[in-house]
Amino acid sequence: MIQVDAQILNVTSNGPFTRITLATPATALGLTAGRFVLAHLGGYLRTPLFPAQLDDEAFQVFVPPDHPAAALQPGAMVNLIGPLGRGFEVNVATRHLLLVAATAHLPPLLPLVRKKPDFATAFTEKPGFSATLLLSAPTAAELYPIRLLPPALEVHIVTADGSAGHGGSIRDLFPDLARWADTVCIADDPAIYPALAEIVRQVRVAPGRRFVQALVVPPIVCGVGACQGCAVETRRGIRLACTDGPVFDLLELS
Amino acid sequence: MTPINLALNHKIGLMLDNPVMPAAGCFGFGTEYSRLVEVEALGAVVVGPVTAGPRQGTTPPRTVPVPGGVLLHTGLANPGLGKIVRRYAHAWAHSPAPVIVHVAGTSPDEAASCCMRLSDIEAVAGIELGLPDAITPDETVAIVRAACAVAYQPLIARLPLDSVGSLCEAAVEAGADALTVATSPRGIAWHAPSEQFISGRLYGPLVLPLALRALRQVAERVSVPLVGCGGVHSTKDARAFLHAGAVAVQVDGAIWRDPGCLAHIARDLAT
Repeated sequence: MIQVDAQILNVTSNGPFTRITLATPATALGLTAGRFVLAHLGGYLRTPLFPAQLDDEAFQVFVPPDHPAAALQPGAMVNLIGPLGRGFEVNVATRHLLLVAATAHLPPLLPLVRKKPDFATAFTEKPGFSATLLLSAPTAAELYPIRLLPPALEVHIVTADGSAGHGGSIRDLFPDLARWADTVCIADDPAIYPALAEIVRQVRVAPGRRFVQALVVPPIVCGVGACQGCAVETRRGIRLACTDGPVFDLLELS
Repeated sequence: MTPINLALNHKIGLMLDNPVMPAAGCFGFGTEYSRLVEVEALGAVVVGPVTAGPRQGTTPPRTVPVPGGVLLHTGLANPGLGKIVRRYAHAWAHSPAPVIVHVAGTSPDEAASCCMRLSDIEAVAGIELGLPDAITPDETVAIVRAACAVAYQPLIARLPLDSVGSLCEAAVEAGADALTVATSPRGIAWHAPSEQFISGRLYGPLVLPLALRALRQVAERVSVPLVGCGGVHSTKDARAFLHAGAVAVQVDGAIWRDPGCLAHIARDLAT
């Protein structure tokens, strides 16, 4: 864990997100999918930033246009603390990786499917490996553009109004995909997590620990476990998102 | 810089090489910030709060960002003094700055139990006893006296902001070697995602004027060393506490924004 100033190299539009490139080697920061840095963006509390793409000399975050980081300009310096937290853990034996995300929550999952063999969580080039994304949005216009996703990634679309893909909820398609997968990584509105956990319990017999992992991001104050502010309720008691998470076993969440 | 003794009349004293230290509740139990804070630049580190038994703390949500600060309600979450000592005493023994353990003084019995356990630990240079918000002067005397009766180390009483004037003399009369002024103020904030009010302590620069006022009140009434606490975010803020009568300063929420500020303020004050 270090505190470091990173220069903004680039700020571009990327579908519904603003893509920001920070000139700090992701490897130096030890970032992986689901781990994060706390950025000083002018507010009282630091803001968690999750990498969406990891490179040797920089990493990228995708944020909504109204996010404080979206106002950053190329050349500006941002103070970061990281890497923080426990990210997604995809076992090397994984062959069927299922990603589940609402478009607004998708970016932290993207490093799992980028072709970057330097990072332990990139699996797209492994023989026999296949990854599927169950991606949702209220309407087709609000979906993350499929052309920006890796071609090898199979994508199932769900829109609430039926304007693209399946009309309805990810709960409709999730059971079949959860049967197929041997690891599931979810980044979505935590309000839907109890329903997804119930489906997993119905379709899988004795799913292993961390078979289904979910990202939970409450406001994070210190990032190092000192303030006890980012508590998350689990079946084993209170845990902290900054040190025990922010990726938790979905079936452990209360 | 001239060393500061926070316990002038105590048999072992509590000597600080620098007036700056983190506030309890902001720094963890001693190792959380070890890679981000130059502890050797500080006068002391205040760890905790601790209670005799484990406390799971408040049910989430615990944090509500508010304009210019944050409201936090953890409910004294900690694994209990026994576990804390087992996990952290080794780190305390190797700390380059004296370690002060903050005990939540919820009752005379609990305060005494914690202080007795800490008395055996050589790595603990001092004990800070946090007094609850709604406490009377008589209750203050009972808790502080119970703690002082068994504590080997110097004892600093931390006063709740709302009642420093009525409690400071009681704490000193009961044996406190020094006073920390003060615990962060309480407030409530609306937590929109869960549609409920959250009650908790407020952190941010606006706390500073409240804490300064409280410290001046206390400085007029007692003569023990005072530690200013609340809203310090810069060297200028820390100096304001020293001008108001404090001999040392605790930094609270600023650590979360910029862990490096602790050492910066400490170095600025040393020159």
